[in-house]
Amino acid sequence: MSAWVKIAIRNIIKNKRRSLYTIIAIALGFAAVNIFGGYTEYMFTSLKNAFIYNYANGHLNIFKKGYLEEGKLDPTRFLIKDKELEAIKEICKGDPRILLATPKLEVTGLVSNGKVSTIFFANARVPSDTEFIRAKSSGMLAKLKLFDGKKLEDEVPSAVGFSSGLARKLAMRIGDTGNLMAPTVEGMINAVDIDLYQTFESPMAELNDKLIDMNLKLAQNLYDTTSVGSITVLLSETDLTNKARAYLLGEFNRTGLEMEVKTWEEMSPFYVKVRDMFDVIFIFVFVIVFVIVVMSVVNTVSMSILERTREIGTLRALGLKRAGVVNLFVIESLLMSVAGSLLGLVMTLIVWYAIKVTEPTWVPPQITRAVPLEVFLVPGYLAGSFFSLIVLSALAAVAPARRAAYEKSIVDDLGYV
Amino acid sequence: MKGIDFTETSPIITMRQVWKYYDLGANRIPALRGVDLMIDRGEFVAVWGPSGSGKSTLCNLMGLIDDASDGYIELVGREVRQLSDDQMSEFRNKTIGIVFQHFNLIPVLSALENIMLPLQIQGISAKEAEKKATAWMREVGLGDYTEQRPDKLSGGQRQRVAIARAMVTDPSLVIADEPTANLDSENARKIIDLMREINMLKGTTFIFSTHDQRLLGRVRRHVQLLDGMVVEDKRL
Repeated sequence: MSAWVKIAIRNIIKNKRRSLYTIIAIALGFAAVNIFGGYTEYMFTSLKNAFIYNYANGHLNIFKKGYLEEGKLDPTRFLIKDKELEAIKEICKGDPRILLATPKLEVTGLVSNGKVSTIFFANARVPSDTEFIRAKSSGMLAKLKLFDGKKLEDEVPSAVGFSSGLARKLAMRIGDTGNLMAPTVEGMINAVDIDLYQTFESPMAELNDKLIDMNLKLAQNLYDTTSVGSITVLLSETDLTNKARAYLLGEFNRTGLEMEVKTWEEMSPFYVKVRDMFDVIFIFVFVIVFVIVVMSVVNTVSMSILERTREIGTLRALGLKRAGVVNLFVIESLLMSVAGSLLGLVMTLIVWYAIKVTEPTWVPPQITRAVPLEVFLVPGYLAGSFFSLIVLSALAAVAPARRAAYEKSIVDDLGYV
Repeated sequence: MKGIDFTETSPIITMRQVWKYYDLGANRIPALRGVDLMIDRGEFVAVWGPSGSGKSTLCNLMGLIDDASDGYIELVGREVRQLSDDQMSEFRNKTIGIVFQHFNLIPVLSALENIMLPLQIQGISAKEAEKKATAWMREVGLGDYTEQRPDKLSGGQRQRVAIARAMVTDPSLVIADEPTANLDSENARKIIDLMREINMLKGTTFIFSTHDQRLLGRVRRHVQLLDGMVVEDKRL
């Protein structure tokens, strides 16, 4: 073993308490950054996967051009017709990255229990396609129960799901019947009967007394149309989103289809805002924690240098160059940061495992149901914190060590008491 | 160091009109005043004088751990003012051995590891360094104490380790600043005898400072300092 590593290790052991405090400070810094980072990664991934899979929004949504800007006021102008839908499905079949392309229709109207009525908003989809998308969910979200009651079925168009607030509002229970009323695309008033199969919690609390899930056929029946409002596309991997979009746009351009494609990120401003907010918070946490760690190292190294002033003078007198003195203390700092990072890794793994085993739940903002809480182990964060701590600890030692090596004379050091 | 241009008969140390000042507040205190001194190879020299006479300052300048304010100093054929700090470090490591009043052993290293240190600073392998250091441990009579840390050794034993550390690089010159000041008279005598024995066997030039006149009987030349000046330079 190098003499310098030996001296560094033995000095660390000699000042056990001080070294231990510094190592623990580094370990806590490492663990804090990685646990918080793992939590934010869980948040991002959960929000993303919940949006894409659990709420069956898919990776891409295809609309008629102009639908998003003007479609709310006059949706019938921007409906995708049968032939267009078939052409789009053919294009999607041509890309193996695309697992599913399923039509969707948003409807609004009045829902009644026979006595009272209230407004509703509905996403009408093909139930089996919705189940296909939800089945792709993974991790703890896959265990999340999204509704109470029975699944909606392709063969039972009248089956609907109510948000729990809507069911309470209309005093309806699973198994009850009711009806929906809305103007058709031609402007005529229409009504259909419904059977309440399930209740669910709305992803947004404000809409929990208005949302309905229904079969696409029922919605088309209500609107008296065979058209759809949009097409939800599911990919084999989320990372393929942009490439798949480029492919679709290219094909639409080639075939003359006037369509636009939005990614899941573009369709989920809540995800983007939450992600941006947590990114900023993470940076603050990272900086604060690492400043504390650096100050701890600077303090420890400074005290060590002060106590070993005469030793520094002796080493210089024996012929050690100034840079060698700096290296001596940098090695000591590096060893402590490696020890601290490894201890921090153990702390992180303990917390991760404890959460995995206990499976705690929590109710996030704007969500009305408890969801699993997880902390992810993110290799990038682990490696990044390890590397950052090593570098910062080394740099933290340089300034006080340089002062000792370059600014003081050997005679002064030897005479230090 | 390679390329040193000096002959066996050249003085190992040449000092001409060397002055050293210390600034204490507004005052400038001369520690050495115009010292002229030449030390030949193989000499065993004591620099003696009362406290404050400039002995330690003279030793520091000869050991290249301090800079003269004025004057000419040549060590082993090199004018020291021409050396950069790194060159001085290398020169000290390879050419000069230093023995300190307070021993100055590294507390976390064993006796053997302390002796190995100057060799490892040179970049010599641990195996080679250990071999040479072990030989010197035996030479100074501490062959059974290789693994002991300094705090487990007596004052006399520590100083023997320090002498072995100073000698392990086969230096041309050993500077010892008051090497016996923290030892009882018997150990002080033994240390001086050890240094003299090495001087006679290896031909290494030894210069040590002391305020104890009783040790002067063991040297062949003594230089007396008073108020920063050489007042007597006697060869016996």
